Amino acid sequence: MSQTNTTTAREIPKEIERFNVTFRIQHILMFTTFLLLSFTGWGLKYADAPAGVSSWWIRVWGGPETAGIIHRVAGVTMLLDFIWHVIYLGYLFATKQMTINLKTTVIPLPKDIFDVIQNFLYFFGLSKEKARFGKYSYAQKFDYWAVFWGMFIIGFSGFALAFPMLVSHIIPRFATAWIWELLSIMHSDEALLAIVFILFWHFYNEHLKPENFPMSWLWITGKISTEKLKHHHPIEYDLLFPDAKKNKD
Amino acid sequence: MFIYTLLISILDLPKLFVSNSYNLMIEVLMPYKKVMFFVPPLLVLALVLPLAVSAQESANCLACHSSMKGRIKTIGGNLIELNVDSEKFQASVHSALACTDCHMKFTDNPHSSPGASVPQDILSLSAKIAKKYPVDPVAAAACSKCHGEIYQKVLTSVHGRNITEKHQTDGALCLDCHGSPHYIVPVKNPESKVSRGQQIETCGKCHGNKQIIEKYKLEENVLDSFKESFHGRKLHLGHTKVPVCASCHNSHDIMSKNDPASPVFGNNRLQTCGKCHKGANEKFIPAITHKRPGPIPHYTEKALILLVLGVFTFIISHVLLEAFSDIRDAIFRKGGHE
Repeated sequence: MSQTNTTTAREIPKEIERFNVTFRIQHILMFTTFLLLSFTGWGLKYADAPAGVSSWWIRVWGGPETAGIIHRVAGVTMLLDFIWHVIYLGYLFATKQMTINLKTTVIPLPKDIFDVIQNFLYFFGLSKEKARFGKYSYAQKFDYWAVFWGMFIIGFSGFALAFPMLVSHIIPRFATAWIWELLSIMHSDEALLAIVFILFWHFYNEHLKPENFPMSWLWITGKISTEKLKHHHPIEYDLLFPDAKKNKD
Repeated sequence: MFIYTLLISILDLPKLFVSNSYNLMIEVLMPYKKVMFFVPPLLVLALVLPLAVSAQESANCLACHSSMKGRIKTIGGNLIELNVDSEKFQASVHSALACTDCHMKFTDNPHSSPGASVPQDILSLSAKIAKKYPVDPVAAAACSKCHGEIYQKVLTSVHGRNITEKHQTDGALCLDCHGSPHYIVPVKNPESKVSRGQQIETCGKCHGNKQIIEKYKLEENVLDSFKESFHGRKLHLGHTKVPVCASCHNSHDIMSKNDPASPVFGNNRLQTCGKCHKGANEKFIPAITHKRPGPIPHYTEKALILLVLGVFTFIISHVLLEAFSDIRDAIFRKGGHE
């Protein structure tokens, strides 16, 4: 994801592209399927909610049968979207369109932990400086890798629960006594984690924060203003526009 | 028949006031005081209204029993329900039957018995179940007049043998699942006690009852495990094809899960699960069980809950602190931070 072609242009553009159209489509597919899965899955997880709320909610989605189909179709679509993303990353690396640079990579680094500590110190007034980020802040890295975690835990278990006969062939015999229970627990509990995570972390950072409210338009334009880049991703900014730094100095 | 009984008693009424047989009468009828309270006005009604005696058998019985309320102790010391809701009875599948089709013979009952003789097979069946139905075992056995084949299945089932061989009184027979024979409606009707919607609760009367579970060493978590399963959740949400108890365990010919002939015994489940899950194999069939989760799922769940709480704590504290610091900056550090 790190386009490291350091521009040496003297003129600093008003905005730069942060996510290309492929990434944007992958994100749109990800969040639409995520919402559908959350809405239909929530009704099933809390089926015996008081006053028949869940029965009503599932009727909104066309009844249990239809909601089940929506959930399965959305789940498979999300998995395909994820596979597409991984293959696309592989393609970008293979064609050298993407290389790993410690200042722009989304891979978690020890620096991220120090950034968290730095920011907490700032929140408590113990430091006057906020952490300085590269292309991805620890919050964004957290967001990104949470999807990977979710895909492996919820995605695989969901696939196994939706196509049990297919998956049963690769399940070792000694595991059959507890694997199904384990899969449904994994699926349900981690889905709750994912929903809570998106609802509080992602929604706060990308929607509710005063500077982003009602949302950061990046998801549709793919572009970030250089002003914002300088403010939120100073390390990447310095990397992209080294001249600006020199001029400033 | 009933009219005749009533006539006898009304002819006896004057005596009640003139002779000391009144006291005798009271003594005999002591448990039926409440009945006496209703009888005189109903007698008048019965005499005034021209009733077609033979065709209106049930109407005659209902003339009293539809307006009687409450329970009464018989001479044998058993509590019986007096009321028969005539509207519900007329709406039931048994509305065309006459009372005496089943109530052929009364034991421990104030009415004199109807004249018809009780078939031998019903009599012998009634003897087998007499301990469970001490008031009117013949009526309880009479179901087999029409439902003979099913009754035989029940008698050979684990429920039936519990009554006929072990002579228990708390095991299930017809009425325990289907409710009162007076109000039976088709199984498709949601009002039915064995309908999809009510079946779990009906079986749960015993299979969720601690004393019965302990007494018969039944699987103790069946109700909760069903409610928590995908089947149970979907049923709760109104899914129309999801299985209920009898879908897997069978109904009248139900067997112990340890009986090799049971549909949920060992590899019989291949076929049972396969009714809905095409291609159900040996690795798939352990998926549904009423046992509590084993240690691996149990501790995985605990670990996942810890993870959720950990992540949640981090997220919430970070979001709140960040919001507070933003507010702080906006108020106290205007322009200080770009």
